[in-house]
Amino acid sequence: MSMNDTALAEKASETIAGFTEEAFSALTQPGNPLLRGKREEAFAEYLRLPAPHAFDEEWRKTDPALFRFDTWSALPSAAAGSVQPTDWDSAFDVVVQVDGASVSIEDRTGILSAGRAYVASLFDAAEEHPDWVQQYLQGAALPASTDKFTALNGAFWNVGIFIHIPEGTKLEKGIFLRYRQRETGAVLIPRLVIVAESGSEATVVEHLESDDEVSMGVVSARELYVDQAARLKFLTLQEWGRGTYQIGNDMAVVQRDAQVDWITLNLGSQISKLKFGSDVAGPGSSAELDGIFCTDTDQHIDQTTLQIHSAPHTYSRLLYKGAVMDQGHSVYRGIIQAKPGAIKVDAYQTNNNLVLSNGAIADTIPGLLIDADDLKCSHGATIGNLDENQVFYLRARGIPEHEARKLLILGFYDEILDRIPYASIRDRVHELLVEKLDRVL
Amino acid sequence: MSSYFEINELKAEIEGKPILNGLSLTVAKGETHALMGPNGSGKSTLANVIMGHPAYEVTGGEILFEGENILELDPEERARKGLFLAFQYPVAVPGVTVASFLKHAHDAVYGEKKLKAAEFLKQLRADMDFVGVDQTFLNRYLNDGFSGGEKKRMEILQMLTLRPRMAVMDETDSGLDIDALKVVSMGVNKLVGAEFGLLVITHYERILRYIHPDHLHVLIDGKVAFSGGPELVKRLEEEGYDWVRNEFGKEALMA
Ligand SMILES: Nc1ncnc2c1ncn2[C@@H]1O[C@H](COP(=O)(O)OP(=O)(O)OP(=O)(O)O)[C@@H](O)[C@H]1O
Ligand SMILES: [Mg+2]
Repeated sequence: MSMNDTALAEKASETIAGFTEEAFSALTQPGNPLLRGKREEAFAEYLRLPAPHAFDEEWRKTDPALFRFDTWSALPSAAAGSVQPTDWDSAFDVVVQVDGASVSIEDRTGILSAGRAYVASLFDAAEEHPDWVQQYLQGAALPASTDKFTALNGAFWNVGIFIHIPEGTKLEKGIFLRYRQRETGAVLIPRLVIVAESGSEATVVEHLESDDEVSMGVVSARELYVDQAARLKFLTLQEWGRGTYQIGNDMAVVQRDAQVDWITLNLGSQISKLKFGSDVAGPGSSAELDGIFCTDTDQHIDQTTLQIHSAPHTYSRLLYKGAVMDQGHSVYRGIIQAKPGAIKVDAYQTNNNLVLSNGAIADTIPGLLIDADDLKCSHGATIGNLDENQVFYLRARGIPEHEARKLLILGFYDEILDRIPYASIRDRVHELLVEKLDRVL
Repeated sequence: MSSYFEINELKAEIEGKPILNGLSLTVAKGETHALMGPNGSGKSTLANVIMGHPAYEVTGGEILFEGENILELDPEERARKGLFLAFQYPVAVPGVTVASFLKHAHDAVYGEKKLKAAEFLKQLRADMDFVGVDQTFLNRYLNDGFSGGEKKRMEILQMLTLRPRMAVMDETDSGLDIDALKVVSMGVNKLVGAEFGLLVITHYERILRYIHPDHLHVLIDGKVAFSGGPELVKRLEEEGYDWVRNEFGKEALMA
């Protein structure tokens, strides 16, 4: 550590409760030298970067003080329970269970043993494929300098998963990551790295669950690398319980002629503060970003999406749809950025919001950062209620009012639900939405 | 004994503006009535008030269906009693497919007596063939991107699906080509019979060649200015509404 003691002391006020120098030293001794080096790099950034405050533009709508790190223990035990298999598993080649901080991997169709994919904990990956970990962990997608919580994740991650799809490999079913958290008072700090080598095709699905009674924090970070002409589909179904508070930073880097299809389904948690998106970084690359969110009771979901175009001849399309009910609050910020020289760029962004209760709030904030001049770009946002003429039309056909409203709200989400590639997940999202709507309507 | 469907002295307004000014009209069981009248005279307002559109405020009068004042009922309750409105301008409902919508409507209207999914689909496919709606429409979003004529066929398909006992058709014939008009009329005539009442709102004599009314009413300024036999439609076509205004004058409208 190059900083002297006084500088460190000054910075101490900027650490997040529990994530101190002592906690860090305890964590890294002795450890794999490659991982320790990466963690130290991140820890230095973590100390250097200012902690977010409610007056920062990015945190204006979500006070960081709402994340009560002082009430959670910084380093959760690796409570190794056994997560029961579910009937979703058969739709996948590989199932990864994350229970507490313990990771178990099931090679259902034998693709891992056949070398058609590599899925491992970051600890194992650092031993078995140090070159990959060296290149991609805290790589171009998400360097530790991104922000305080990305750096915190880099220094303190307690669940690390590395997925590598070799060149030209096409996975038939896909990889399923199930996070089931049952331990109260912990902070889950997952780091996920996915590398889809050139010409490969794969789908990775995450399912995040915790019980409502479980009080916990989540500081997540995901890095997706989609190499030349590869196609990665990534989907997260977030149904954390109401005791879960999460902060997430994710980024995909998409190379020449490659494509990422990224669907986020944010239905759970008490408070979520998420920032994620794609950099279409090679000519001919594209990103399709779809998301739904729905807040009820006093849930709060704050999302920032990034559509970065750092190469010419690139395409990105984004559709985010949300509904707010009860005292629920949603914040959507959409950033489109074309870097200098990124000509012939098409970028589309749409955010539609339904405000279904008087006490609910939906904020939508567009932001364009354009340094190139040869681009097609559109962004549009709507905030509104249901169309009462549609409600009447359905009622005139005998459909009771609450049922009519429910059908219309599900219909509002339908074009995105339609893009979910697994029936089991589509059904689950449908069920979660119906649960919410039946309670409120 | 009360009649089948009876409107007495109905008054209604929208946004404080009176549109219906004491309208009375009676349809007996088994009868078909035609309702004509100039643009803006209140025909669609009447149709919407019959179905219970919440934007319209009823300020007087009553609508009796089989003796019960339906003004107290929600739109969905009216539909379940057997009332149906084919809309002049059916709204698009993106996100809700035709199949899902029709199944929900069928289940709601038929309740205990609803058909099983497979049986329902079989019946629906037959009805679609009858009104010339392609099966691919089942998976399309309701009225979303439909042509004018397709929307009208969809209204009649809904009517066949729900099999109402009293229907109001608001300019279902407008915008239909000749073949479509015949098909739609055939669909309607499937329902016409001793147990069915029908009120056809139209601007044109054309549809009345296929759907034969027993009576014809002319609505002017929110009141029935004149009622008569179906033969009068020819005269209306030739002479326009000024004829009614002159013939039946202010007294008729004031009465
Ligand atoms: N939502 C509304 N807000 C304000 N005025 C309305 C509304 N709906 C109807 N009106 C007015 O009520 C009057 C009657 O309209 P209505 O649609 O009932 O006429 P109509 O007889 O069906 O006409 P058309 O033959 O053109 O279909 C018109 O002056 C119309 O502008
Ligand atoms: Mg009209």
